[in-house]
Amino acid sequence: MSLINLWVKDGYLSTPDGNSIYFWGFSKSENGPAQLPGPHMVVTQGETVTVNLYNTLSEPVSISFPGQTGVTVEGQPVQPQYSAGRLVSFVNHAEPGDMVSYTFTATHPGTFIYESGTNPHVQIPMGLYGGMVVRPADYDPNVKEYKTAYGTGTDTEFDREYLLIMGEIDPDLHQAVEEGRSYLISKYMPRYWTLNGRCAPDTMLMDNMDHLPHQPYSSMIMAQPGEKVLIRYIGAGIGNHSLHPHGNHTRIVGMDGRLLRNGNVDLSYKRFTVLVGPGQTYDQIYQWDGLGYTPENPIPITLPNLRNMGIGNVGWTMWSGSPYLGVKGDIPKGVTSFNEFGEYYFMLHSHKEPQITNWGEFPGGMMTMIAIYPSLSPDVGILT
Amino acid sequence: MAIIEKRFGATDGWVNMPDGTSHYTFGFVDITGIPEKQIFEYRGKATLLAPLLEVYQGDEVYLTLTNLGLPSRPDLDDTHTIHWHGFPNQIPLWDGVPEASISVPVGRDFTYYYKPLDPGTYMYHCHFEPVEHIQMGMVGPLIVRPQLEKDLGRKFAYNDESTEFEREVLIFLTELDAEPHYLVANVQEFDWTEYSPEYWLISGRSYPDTVKPGNEPTLPLQPFSSLIEACEGEKVLLRFINLGFQEHSIQILGVPFKVVGQDAQQLRGYHGEDISYWRNTLYIGAGQTVDAIFTAPRLGIYPLYSRNHHKNTIAGISFGGMITEVRVLPAP
Repeated sequence: MSLINLWVKDGYLSTPDGNSIYFWGFSKSENGPAQLPGPHMVVTQGETVTVNLYNTLSEPVSISFPGQTGVTVEGQPVQPQYSAGRLVSFVNHAEPGDMVSYTFTATHPGTFIYESGTNPHVQIPMGLYGGMVVRPADYDPNVKEYKTAYGTGTDTEFDREYLLIMGEIDPDLHQAVEEGRSYLISKYMPRYWTLNGRCAPDTMLMDNMDHLPHQPYSSMIMAQPGEKVLIRYIGAGIGNHSLHPHGNHTRIVGMDGRLLRNGNVDLSYKRFTVLVGPGQTYDQIYQWDGLGYTPENPIPITLPNLRNMGIGNVGWTMWSGSPYLGVKGDIPKGVTSFNEFGEYYFMLHSHKEPQITNWGEFPGGMMTMIAIYPSLSPDVGILT
Repeated sequence: MAIIEKRFGATDGWVNMPDGTSHYTFGFVDITGIPEKQIFEYRGKATLLAPLLEVYQGDEVYLTLTNLGLPSRPDLDDTHTIHWHGFPNQIPLWDGVPEASISVPVGRDFTYYYKPLDPGTYMYHCHFEPVEHIQMGMVGPLIVRPQLEKDLGRKFAYNDESTEFEREVLIFLTELDAEPHYLVANVQEFDWTEYSPEYWLISGRSYPDTVKPGNEPTLPLQPFSSLIEACEGEKVLLRFINLGFQEHSIQILGVPFKVVGQDAQQLRGYHGEDISYWRNTLYIGAGQTVDAIFTAPRLGIYPLYSRNHHKNTIAGISFGGMITEVRVLPAP
């Protein structure tokens, strides 16, 4: 039995180019900030989940749970809500100042979205969406064969886990809502693309940065060589996102909260680019093993004098200056390196390249890095 | 296993559309074996597509990138890189992401080393300010051929006899928005969120140029034909690469095809299950590749086109754009 309380309220998002954007979001507590995306819901298969939604906005708000069956309000199946014959919400909603309580049993492990079912063409892009992870019933993070996405025996074991939720922002929509003006959604034109509510390079900052009170989630993926990294994607926007991780393919093991397997036939497959459509979720295993180069087994080329090369982007780099994992080289003067321990960075980004800009300026948008560390605390890459 | 040494220059150029317009581009040009004193004669001669890089599984590839500069934009001293898109287990040094390793300034060289182990269809591109450098044309095809070809002396997409073919054609999909090309040529900034292409290209050309031969003199910097010629009954491998910024939906009228590989992976499940499948329409996202095989039907012409019919135009005028032809000839 899981009880989740969510308050719907407003706030302001920060973008790396200095913009401040009015938004609506879910909050974990009555006095806490609205956040984008909403708080992660992490529950276990077979568990009864109750979500209480407290609405502080001046219009009705609801939550729909795509992929969940048997969602009830006050013991009855959720139903579309009409006002004077006009559809208002896909499911029961809370009026301004009121609350509504949803209950369901999470029957399938996997990755799911939760989002507004009221005025969704406005409320979802305004920020009323979040991610839900359902653990398999036999999940045990302390036993390797039971630390899986879909249950033991499903070939979905993982060592670390990350959730990336994709969205877009058209600032004109947000400004129109803030000022109570009308806005034509058919003219929707995103200028920002987000991973976990942030635009690059903020995506690479850690969780809970003080200067991003409404955007608590990092999108930095960190692992050691050879580890199985479970990367969960959720498409929360209305556009397609063509996500490409550098360094290796991902093996897609589940979609929309369903294991890719028919009986004994495994349907999982490897991709170097995954096209995530609106409302879709993907569960994938990423593993980087490297090519075996060390100072003792050196690369077959001579590293040029780095002062003759381009290093990083406008004065900064994430590179160590060395070809080898765990080794720090000499970065030329005038370039700041954000490299810590000789770790490797691999970009993960939308290959619809205008989406990796902030209002047209690269670098930005729907981009983050996968960091491969020579060694890494077991406490990193735990989803709660 | 061979040792392959290649040298590509990064520079600029101009490409021609069938409506008589020309568009400024950045790109790569093959300068392998050119004496050092003569490489600057290749400035301004970047091709769209960039040179095909074609290797065998297990080859050792030394690919030197030389930044020749941009003669039409001498003020712009952008660095360049080569990113082998999809190379498994790559290290940052050869991954071509400037923010995470090295890029090549004007007048400098850098040698990328690859030992590809997984056959299939890939792509490469510059990763410096990728939204600009990819749209400007720094994109090329990359094929890794399987060991099985050497073992059996026939052609295969993967190390599996079910992927045998007789002929192959690259269907390399991109778009061209004339506005940023014009602005870059004229030292102006473009807002990339306003990207709105009006030319759709197969292997760097718009129909009817797509069916012209590879050495077409009116298209000096667009060397790739995408005309598909085969004899009745022959198996044809189409290597689809999408390095545009949009999804594309491709059909061949009257010719269903079997998708045998995607993203340089044969369509096999975790335990070797056959998960290949038939399609009439190929929906492909930005940054994806697809290997599809069909058997040439009875002789005739079969159009290959975008099912987004607005893309089968030249700046809005029909027919043009993302069209080519399958021409089936009598069996020899």
